[in-house]
Amino acid sequence: MLRAAWLIFLNEFRLLTKDRVGLAMLILAPVVIIAVAGFSLGNIYGVRPAVNAYDLPIVDQDHGSAARAIIAALSRNPAVHLESAQSVAGARALVGRRSRVPLAIVIPAGVTAALKAGRPAKLVLYVDPIKRIEVAAIELRLSRMCAEITARAQDNARTRISAANAELRVRLERLAALATTARSDAEHFRHASLSRRDAAQRELDARLRSAMAALAAQTRAAAERSAAAANSELERELAPRRDAMNAVRAYLAALQASERDFKRWLANLRAAAGSHSADIPPPPAFPRPPTPAQLAVLSKPIEISPPATALPEPALPNLSLASVPIPSLAIPDFDAEFKPLLAAPAPTLPGALGWTELPAGRGPAQANAFDQYVPGFGVTFLLIGMMMGISLGLIDERDWGTLARLRAAGAPFAGTLLGKLMARFVIGLMQMALLFAVGRWMFAISLGSEPLMLLIPSAAIAFAAAAFGLIIACIARTHDSVMPFGAVVSMAMSAIGGCWWPIDFEPGWMRAFAQWLPTTWTMQSFNDLMIRNLPGSAIVWPTLATVGLGIVYLIVGIVAASWIYD
Amino acid sequence: MKALEATGLRKSYGDRVALEGVSLSVDRGEIVGLLGPNGAGKTTTLSILATLLEPDSGSVRVAGLSPQNDREALRRKLGYVPQAIALYPTLSALQNLELFARIHGAGKRQAAAASAHTLEAVGLAPRAHDSVSILSGGMRRRLNLACAMVHQPEILLLDEPTVGVDPQSREQILATVRSAAESGAAIVYSTHYMEEIERICGRALLIDYGRVVAQGTVAELITLGGRQPRMEIAFQEAPMAGWSAGIDGVSEVPHARSDGKIDLELASLTQVSEILERIRGAGGRVIEFNVHSPSLSDAFIALTGHALREDGGGGR
Repeated sequence: MLRAAWLIFLNEFRLLTKDRVGLAMLILAPVVIIAVAGFSLGNIYGVRPAVNAYDLPIVDQDHGSAARAIIAALSRNPAVHLESAQSVAGARALVGRRSRVPLAIVIPAGVTAALKAGRPAKLVLYVDPIKRIEVAAIELRLSRMCAEITARAQDNARTRISAANAELRVRLERLAALATTARSDAEHFRHASLSRRDAAQRELDARLRSAMAALAAQTRAAAERSAAAANSELERELAPRRDAMNAVRAYLAALQASERDFKRWLANLRAAAGSHSADIPPPPAFPRPPTPAQLAVLSKPIEISPPATALPEPALPNLSLASVPIPSLAIPDFDAEFKPLLAAPAPTLPGALGWTELPAGRGPAQANAFDQYVPGFGVTFLLIGMMMGISLGLIDERDWGTLARLRAAGAPFAGTLLGKLMARFVIGLMQMALLFAVGRWMFAISLGSEPLMLLIPSAAIAFAAAAFGLIIACIARTHDSVMPFGAVVSMAMSAIGGCWWPIDFEPGWMRAFAQWLPTTWTMQSFNDLMIRNLPGSAIVWPTLATVGLGIVYLIVGIVAASWIYD
Repeated sequence: MKALEATGLRKSYGDRVALEGVSLSVDRGEIVGLLGPNGAGKTTTLSILATLLEPDSGSVRVAGLSPQNDREALRRKLGYVPQAIALYPTLSALQNLELFARIHGAGKRQAAAASAHTLEAVGLAPRAHDSVSILSGGMRRRLNLACAMVHQPEILLLDEPTVGVDPQSREQILATVRSAAESGAAIVYSTHYMEEIERICGRALLIDYGRVVAQGTVAELITLGGRQPRMEIAFQEAPMAGWSAGIDGVSEVPHARSDGKIDLELASLTQVSEILERIRGAGGRVIEFNVHSPSLSDAFIALTGHALREDGGGGR
């Protein structure tokens, strides 16, 4: 059986190479559809929009800075191509009448003024209800643009307010500094004035004291001169008397020495008298001479000093500087006034509440539309190719008679099926690999962090699709029925499984049904690897689910095909 | 031991009986014809012999092998030419041959050599690399035959192999079949062309409504049919009435013909000149006449009561 399977496998490839158009279409058809879908719907995703930007008529009735900002922002957006319209009527007429004009924008007069005044302002959009999706996509961009412009304006206002605040603060601080300086200067001036006044007072006092001292000295000198003159006169007058006195003093001193000699003589006498000394009467007493000190006074020169207190100190006149009292300057307490002002937060505009996109996983927040469409339509065409390939191949071989002939030639039916499935599986896998390569080359799709991992879900869906092709061949048994049936089934499986749009668009019951489709798990794997940039381990369960469903299809298909075709 | 032996084959599809007790045997080197109208059961018989169908009852042995026990080995001894042109239309003649040679077990080189040889045998060597889709109908028929012979089978089952082919291809096919038989192959040749049976088959089975109506050599079958020679005459001027009276054993076939011709049944072919003389004597002028010896077709009509039909019947 394996030999037959191998030979049928090779033969399938040979048959495919003979069908060059079919072979080319394996890659070309999905690439064409991917390109069509990607370029058509990519604008909604925001990828490569410039190639099919929407034409937007715009009427500027405002002519203000806000209007210019809006037009500039829209002009920078590659998703739209602005077309200036002269009138509202002209712009409205373009909507719906011309393709790719889903809406017209009118910037009413007064928008700039309103915004500057802090009032809300609104743009007017004339929309084509038929193009709701495009309108929604553009409105989303407009919302973002309005938010950005508003935020930018607020930022500018905030910057200006902040600058004004800063300038005011600087001025206040400068004023505060000046005030403080003035206050300080005033205090300093006051202190200096007081100090100078005190110094003047002190100098005055000193000068007065000096003058008074000089006067006292002059007075004392005059008194001393008078005393000296008096002393001199007195000396002249006393000199003879002092000589006499000195003679008296000398006599007295001699008398005093005679007394002492007498006393000594007497003593000697008494000593000589022995026991008769007591019989010697006491000598007469000599009067006591004045003491030398008393005698020195007699000879002491007479000095007449001016009496110390004789000259009363001249009383200082109470000369105080009749200075002008320095009033305290009524300088306010600038610190107390300005500090709370400076410490208070600067007034500012309320911030705008917005949002920013961040990737929930490891991938980018915004995906390339082709990251969805390349695997999505790749899987779709894989399903079509596999289902049609397997089912039409079986039907063809049955109709050609080669199926019976192969059996008669000794190729077991199971071997034939196995060979066909293997061939289609390999072709499907190659198709997916080529599509990813083309997608990378033409549409710059992401292959995730582990590109080779993409082969795993590719192989799983190729297997499941090949197995499902058997079921198709058993349900629709003619060319005419396989074509519509296979197409409907493969497209329905693709659509429900999330190949064409995110599966979350679908209602709950459809999503529940999708769990039973291999496309769902395969797309989950591709999205995880390519867009969410998850590691290969993330696709284990989805791959098992795909393969599991493929095994179920295979068993059902082989049983049914054996019954029908064998 | 017979190369092929089938006994009491019965096959029905629901209520419709396709085969009812068909038995046949073929020796090596023998060509046995299966003759019958479309739907007679020829294809069903061949499908059972080729092990593509299980009979409801009856047995088949091919070279002593039973399909129940030795299906794969048995199939390798078989060469089956289906009624349809069972070829891959996008492959070349050579590629088709090589594929079936390899499916039959040949190695790559062996398959290439056998394919080249077989292409030569069926006169398609110059077209070896042409895609089947651009070959003529006759060439495809020859290739269809070649694919069954590329592995030199012991038993060759041919299901109407010359349907819709040009005379040249038919001759080539018949020559190839004869050659295979001369090489020792046992051949079952199904057709509704009496002439082919007459030309190549040693024996034939007449099948109708799933039953073997008669079997034997061609001569035996014609004899079984019991028909007389016939003469078809076209007149420019009709002879007088009663012109044939008195000629022994000559009678006019009583059916109306719109083309002005008459059919006569003769006792012997020697009466032809006498008949022409009589007509001339009766004032008639003959512009054309044809003489038919009794054929297998006549025998078939005689045996089944109707001519070969193009459809209906109980076969598949």
